[in-house]
Amino acid sequence: MKDLKHLYYFEKLLEDANNDLIRQAKDEGNICVGTVCENVPEPLLNLPGTFSSRLRAPRTGSMEMATYYLTSFLCEYSRALLERAIEGGFNYLDCLIAPDGCTMINRCVENMELLKTMGQGNDKFFHEYMEIPQKGDQNGLDLYVLQCQNHILNPLKEHYGIDISDAAIRKAVEEHNEVCRLIRAIGDYRKEDNPRITGYEFHIITMATYCAPKRLVIDKLKETLEELKTREPDEKNKFRARVVFVGSEVDDVDVIKLVEESGAYVCADRFCYGSFPGRDEIILNDDEDALTQVCRAYQQRGACPRYWDTPKVVGRREYVAALAKEYKADGIIYEQMKFCDPWAYERMVGTVVLRDDYGYPVLQVDRPYSIGASGQMRTRVQAFVESIEIKKIQGGVHNG
Amino acid sequence: MAKEIGGEALGRFFVEGKRVRSRREWRGLKDTLYDYSRWLYIMGQLAKFVMKPRNVKAMFRYRWMANYLAVPMMVDRHTQGLRGPYLRMCHLEQDLVIYDVAKLLDNLFRGDRRIGNDKKFSDKVVLVDENEMTAVMMGFPTLKGLSRETPSTYVSVLLNQRAAEHYIDVAQEYGLPGDVCPMPEAEAGVSIDDDAPILGACAVQCNTTCDGSLMGNGVIAKRLELEDDVPIFQLATPMRHKEEDVQEYAAQEIKNCIQFIEEHTGEKWDWDYYFECARRVNIATRCRSEWLDMNKTDYPQVFGSNLALYTETNYMAICGKVPEFETVDKKLTALAEQAFREKKMMAKEYRHRAIVWGVQSHYYMDFLLWILNCWGIVPLTDMLSMVNTEMIAEEDTPENREQAYHDMAMLTENMIMRNRTHGGYKVLLDELWEFCEEFNADMVILWEHMACKALDGMHGMFEEKAREKGIHLVWVSHDLFDARIITRQGVRDQVNRYMRTVFKEEPLDPSLEILPDDASW
Repeated sequence: MKDLKHLYYFEKLLEDANNDLIRQAKDEGNICVGTVCENVPEPLLNLPGTFSSRLRAPRTGSMEMATYYLTSFLCEYSRALLERAIEGGFNYLDCLIAPDGCTMINRCVENMELLKTMGQGNDKFFHEYMEIPQKGDQNGLDLYVLQCQNHILNPLKEHYGIDISDAAIRKAVEEHNEVCRLIRAIGDYRKEDNPRITGYEFHIITMATYCAPKRLVIDKLKETLEELKTREPDEKNKFRARVVFVGSEVDDVDVIKLVEESGAYVCADRFCYGSFPGRDEIILNDDEDALTQVCRAYQQRGACPRYWDTPKVVGRREYVAALAKEYKADGIIYEQMKFCDPWAYERMVGTVVLRDDYGYPVLQVDRPYSIGASGQMRTRVQAFVESIEIKKIQGGVHNG
Repeated sequence: MAKEIGGEALGRFFVEGKRVRSRREWRGLKDTLYDYSRWLYIMGQLAKFVMKPRNVKAMFRYRWMANYLAVPMMVDRHTQGLRGPYLRMCHLEQDLVIYDVAKLLDNLFRGDRRIGNDKKFSDKVVLVDENEMTAVMMGFPTLKGLSRETPSTYVSVLLNQRAAEHYIDVAQEYGLPGDVCPMPEAEAGVSIDDDAPILGACAVQCNTTCDGSLMGNGVIAKRLELEDDVPIFQLATPMRHKEEDVQEYAAQEIKNCIQFIEEHTGEKWDWDYYFECARRVNIATRCRSEWLDMNKTDYPQVFGSNLALYTETNYMAICGKVPEFETVDKKLTALAEQAFREKKMMAKEYRHRAIVWGVQSHYYMDFLLWILNCWGIVPLTDMLSMVNTEMIAEEDTPENREQAYHDMAMLTENMIMRNRTHGGYKVLLDELWEFCEEFNADMVILWEHMACKALDGMHGMFEEKAREKGIHLVWVSHDLFDARIITRQGVRDQVNRYMRTVFKEEPLDPSLEILPDDASW
C-alpha cells in the first residue's frame, strides 16, 4: 500500500512525551494536564485553556533509578514513567492528576511527588490523587462526580483560573467527540477483508490523539480519513489471521508492529491507549449536567479490570467477544504487562472464557514495556497464527 | 532442661527431615503442667471435631483439611521459650482462636452442599472474605458470617508451611503468572480446584489489601456466583480512605451491602445487637491500645505473635460478635498489667527494640518469637497490629444509628494491612517513623513480601528515610505463602547476616541461628 501521508508525522510525534504539539500548545498559553490512566475522564482535562498529556516514556532504556525506588517487581510502565520523571522528562507538565487506579501506578506517582521530579519553577504546579469507582452502580457514579469535581475541576480553577462551567465541559466533550468520530471512521476500515489500513498505522494514529492536544491533530485526522477513502490495499493480503488485541497499557509503538510482522492482523484494539473503549463518543443530553454525564459514560464503558462487580466483569468478556465478531477476528490475543496484577487475573479468566464459552482461539502473553524486537513474542504469535490456520484447515473451532 | 527463661537451647528440639520437634520443652513443673493441660485441651477439641461424621467426610473431601492435624504443633511453635504470664497469654489466645476456627469448620461443613447439606442452616449463612472486616454482620444476630478462605488457605499456612503450594500451582497451571501475591493466588487455586465448601444465601466480597486480592475475587465469583448460584455483593471500599470526600460514599456502600444481605436472607438489621457488638469492639480497641502503650515502655507485655495473631482474628473476623473474645481481652489485659507491675520480661535479655513493618511471612508466623529468642530483638508491634484505635458509637440513639454506618465504613476501610497498603504513602511511610519515635525503637524489621506491590513501591523511600533518621532497617524478603521461594532459614539468614555484620553481635541462643526446619509443619 502507498504510505499514509501523515503517518511519519504521527510517528515523530510519538518519539517524545514532550512533543512538538505539546510545546506549541504550551507556547500558546495552554495548561498541560498530565495523567497516567484511562479512568481520568479526558474531556475534563481538555477544557478551554487546558490540554491533556497521557504520560508515556518512549525510547526507554535503563530503568535502574526507578527500580531502586520501586523494585523490579513493579510493572515496567510505572518504572519507566518514574525513570523518565527523575530524568526531568515530564517537566513540561503544569499538574499531574492520578487516579488510585492500580497500586503500581499510584506508587509511581507518589514517588514522583516525594522526589519532587516536577514543578520546578512553577509554584502553581499541583499533584492530585483521585478515588475512582470500582463498580458500575449509582453510588460509584456519585463518587466519580465528586472526585472529578474536587480533584480535577476545582484545582484547575483554583490554580490556573480555568473555566470549569457546564458550557466549558460541553465544549470539551464536543471536541473529544469529533476526535472519536474520526478515529472510529478510520478504524472501521479494519473490518474489510483486505483492509486498507494496518493495525500498526491505526495504533499510531490513535495513540497520537492521547499524547498530543486534540485540537491540534484534528486536521491531520481528517486528511487521513479522506486519504483512506481512496487508498488501495495491496492486492494480496499479507496477513494470515485476524486478531483482537486485548489487554493492559500499550503505548509502545513496536507492539502492534511486531504482532503484524508475525502474520496476525490486529483488527481491533481493546487496551489502554487503544480505541476501544477509549474513543467511544460521549453523547450528552440537555437534561442533566455535563459532568455527571461524562462520568457516567466513563463508568459505563470502563473496561478496566479494576471494575470488579460481576456485571462489569461479565460485560468485559462479552465486549471482547462482540468486538471479535464485529471485526471478524479469527482469534484473540490477551496481553499483560509483566507484573501487572489486574491484568494477570483478567487475562487468565478472559482467556478461559473466550476460549471455552465463545469458541475463540486465544493466546495469552505477558510482555515488557518496550518490546523492541522480542523474539519470544514473535515466536509465540507466529505459533498462534499457525494454530489458527490449522484449525481453519481442519474446520475445527468456529470463529464466532 | 531449665525452668528459667532462656535456660534451654531451643534449637536442639528441631530434627532434620522431621515434621515435628524431638520433644516438648521443660518449663519448670508449674508451667510445664499448665502447657501440657492446654495441649490436652487442644487434643480434646480435635477429638470433639472428628467425632462428627460430616467432619470426617470433609477430611477426605477437602485436601486442605489434612493440615489441621498440625494444630498442636502450631501452638507449640508459638510458645517456644515462653514462661509465666506470656505462656498463659499465648494459650488463652490460641485456645480461643482454635475453638473459633473449629466452630467455623463445623458450620461450613454443616451447610456445605457436598457434606452436611443442611439447607435451612445454609440459608442463614453469609459468606465473607478471609481478609475482610466483618462489620456489616454486626447487626445480624441470627445469621452466620462464614469465611471459606480462612480455613482453606489462611489458617492452613499457619499450620503447615507447605499448605498453599498445591493451590498456587493449580492457579499457575490455569494461566496465572507466578509474580502475583500468592495469598489471593492460593485462594483462586482453591476455587479453580473446586475445593471450597458450597453454601450460603449470599456472599460479600471486599477490596481488601491489594490489586491481587481484589482480582482474586473475580475468580472466586466465577465459581461461586456464576456456577454455584450464590449471589455476591462486592463491597467496594474506598482506596484513599484518609480523604474526607470518600466517606459518604463508603457509608452508602455499607448501607447497600446491608440491604443486599437483608434481601437475600430475609433477616432484618438489629440495632440492639449492633450496639452490643460495637461495645465489644471498643473494649477490644481499649485493650489493644493499653497493650500498645505498655509496649512503648521498657517492659512491653503483649507483643510479637501474641499481639499479631490475636489481633488478626479479633479485629476483623470477630469484630465484636463473639462474647468469648471480650473475656479473653480482659484476662490478657489483667495478665499484662500484673506482669508490667512486676517488670517481667519475655526473654532473658532485650537488646533491640524493633517495629516490624510490612506484610509478614505467613508460613513463618513464629519468626517474631524467633528474633526475640535468638537475637534479643523485641518486636514491639507490627504493621498488621497498628489498626484502628478510635472508639465507635456504642449507644443506641437516632444520631448514632447514622453514625454507625460511618463507623462500619471506617472499620472496613481500616482493615488489617489495607489500612497501610492503601490510603497514600503517609500511612505506610511517614507513620512508620512516627511509631519508631513513639515506641523508642532503634530498628525496623521490614518484611519485603516480594509480590506485594504496595510495599515494593516504597522500597527506595524506606531506605532513604531510614538513613536520614539513623534507624537500622533490616530487609527481610519472603513470599508470604510460598516457602519454596524463600525458606524459613532464608528468612532467618537475612537477620543473622545483619546482626553479625552490622551490629557485630552474637546470638542470645546460638542454637536458633540455623534450624533444620525445612521439612517441619
